[in-house]
Amino acid sequence: MLSNIGNTLLFLNILLGIFIIYFSFKNLQNKKISISKNIYHICLFQSTFIIICFLTLVAAFIISDFSIITVYQNSHSLKPFFYKISGTWGNHEGSLLLWVIILTIFSFLFLLYNKSHSRNYRIYSLIIQNTLILGFLFFLLFNSNPFSAISPTPKEGLGLNPILQDPALAIHPPLLYIGFVGSSIYFSAAIASLLTNYSGRLFAHSIKNWVLISWSFQTLGILAGSIWAYYELGWGGFWFWDPVENASLLPWFAMTALLHSLIVLEKRNFLYFWVIILCLLTFILSVTGTFLVRSGILNSVHTFANDPSRGLYILVFLSLMIFGSVLLFFNKFKNSNYNLNSNSKETFILINNWFMIFYLITVLLGTVYPIFTEVLTDHKVSVGPPFYNTVIIPIVILFLFFMSVGPQTQWIKNKFYNLNLLFKILIASIFINFSIIYLFKSYSLISNFIIISAVFLIIASLIDLYKLFKIQKMDSSRVISHLSFGFLILFIGLNYNFSLEKDFNLKLGERKKFDNYSLEFKDLRLEDFKNYKAVIGEFKINNSQRNLNQSLYPEIRIYENPSTITYEASIRSGLLKDYYITMSNIDRSDYYNIKFQKKPFMMWIWISVIFISLGGFLRLFQNAKKDY
Amino acid sequence: MRTKIIIFFIILNFNIVDAKTFLIDSNKVFKNLRCLICQGQSIADSNSEFAQTIKLIVRDQIKDGKSEKEIYDFLIEKYGEWIVYKPPLNKVNFLLWLLPYLAFVTGGGIIFLLLKKRYNH
Repeated sequence: MLSNIGNTLLFLNILLGIFIIYFSFKNLQNKKISISKNIYHICLFQSTFIIICFLTLVAAFIISDFSIITVYQNSHSLKPFFYKISGTWGNHEGSLLLWVIILTIFSFLFLLYNKSHSRNYRIYSLIIQNTLILGFLFFLLFNSNPFSAISPTPKEGLGLNPILQDPALAIHPPLLYIGFVGSSIYFSAAIASLLTNYSGRLFAHSIKNWVLISWSFQTLGILAGSIWAYYELGWGGFWFWDPVENASLLPWFAMTALLHSLIVLEKRNFLYFWVIILCLLTFILSVTGTFLVRSGILNSVHTFANDPSRGLYILVFLSLMIFGSVLLFFNKFKNSNYNLNSNSKETFILINNWFMIFYLITVLLGTVYPIFTEVLTDHKVSVGPPFYNTVIIPIVILFLFFMSVGPQTQWIKNKFYNLNLLFKILIASIFINFSIIYLFKSYSLISNFIIISAVFLIIASLIDLYKLFKIQKMDSSRVISHLSFGFLILFIGLNYNFSLEKDFNLKLGERKKFDNYSLEFKDLRLEDFKNYKAVIGEFKINNSQRNLNQSLYPEIRIYENPSTITYEASIRSGLLKDYYITMSNIDRSDYYNIKFQKKPFMMWIWISVIFISLGGFLRLFQNAKKDY
Repeated sequence: MRTKIIIFFIILNFNIVDAKTFLIDSNKVFKNLRCLICQGQSIADSNSEFAQTIKLIVRDQIKDGKSEKEIYDFLIEKYGEWIVYKPPLNKVNFLLWLLPYLAFVTGGGIIFLLLKKRYNH
């Protein structure tokens, strides 16, 4: 029943998409200034239908309607209610439906909120966006239909992969998709702008809030994924340079570059073609990321949903998109005049873009290089954390210094920032770095520079914040994001250098001593839970110096639907540090492999990222207040 | 004077770094190795038997006084380049190492040219 409703709604949505494109073209031919009411109405229907369609799938998951293959494969009647709902987008088909919803809703909202802009520009944006919607709807309906029926109806579902049954991962896809898919709207707008030769300034004005929305959500989405990986995968880090993580980071770099150069376009009306490239690139990278993840050509932990036929469709779609936009771009490209002074804000924003593109190229190359070597030379290589650390970290140091100086500069003017003050800040940062070494222990040369530059940025931003309060001209959103970025790098640097990691084997009742710590394996018990069994260990940590006495309870969980073993880390989070223990059994032995980690400032890494995205939301709020 | 103070602090920083002992950290080595039978996990993160074996090998080699590079070379010879997360610089991988820097220099060059062109006007 639900399967039929869903299919009908998908089909209706395809029809509506075609209608919108048809009426839009018709609208282009008449001389009226406004867009016909019909188009608004169809768009409203389109959004409503796709939401109902999604709710139908949610309903199917809630009532465990196993006559639908997606539900059968990814749910189980005993699964907790919350995960029944999040299971809707915890699989390929459902998440693709979520993808289409965001495409559709953004299309409608973009139409509504840009009434002050030229009619043709808006109509072309709508046409391009609906072409994208149709492309994904066809993919959904003919290749990855979430409503495919199965007969006879199975009695019980196969269950959701237990590592996906997690609150952080439940919100991770929707957040990330608003970022990923949200970028589609400025892809469409960029093409519309090229087609109608729209003014750069107006174009920047019409898309800036959309860039902010997608950027802020993308940031939060990456964060949710990172937190999930931290406690669920049991590796005890916040970033692994896993190909799938990289796929979410690539559009983020492009968005960040876009976010900055858009300011130049709006204020100074140049960089138009560069901004267009970034708009196109962001969405292309989002689709590329999806292709890499869903096609399964990457060797990654996250590839739980892959199938080559999906890959082929996305690849064809992607190639058409790239080919079309490149062709149009070169057709419309013309050399424009610019007026750039070396110490102006424009230059520093270009410098931001320069670094962003460098990060983007490095991460993209690292992610796809193994595919190429394997296909071309039959040579398997792995590109992992040590590669990215070696290439990126030294450049980050330089980046942070530019980031500290950049915001102080003025538009157009060629006046340099107060050198005297910069020297003072540098000395203060070096001094702080030096005290950190004494407080903790020594660390490597490059870490010195990372911490000095991060502290440099923090102090510069704080001085900024103080000045802003004094003159009451609030550009607080930028300062908040930059300041938090400084803190993020600082905490990452400290975390990286002062983590303590121990890996050893213990038997029940044994005790292990290292540094000032002693770890005792006190207890081991078996417990039954609603949808899994767990072997739970009890470990007591003592620190002779700090009077620390904590117990941690890592688990080995045995799930039956589907049958999987997962290793659950036990984490004691604190303001200053996290203690982290995972335990795994060793075959044919009484010993257990124990990983103990002390991770300083983990919580502050998460908080810094939240504040980075908060800066984006704040700017959005300020823009909205200014406009209305 | 100011410059001297800065130089003083920088030197101080580096001296402390030098005091650090250069023992190979086995955890660091584990993190740089791929667990070949897992899905994108490092030896440090994996619970598999393969990972346990590699850990034993690495610990033995550290005990024998081998350098980090010697350990990686040994493992590459045995299991192929697939096992290390930092691809060695060779004929196949030189583009991987070269292109990011090339992009960086090019980007800087473009900005420099844009500024210079402006001065010539």
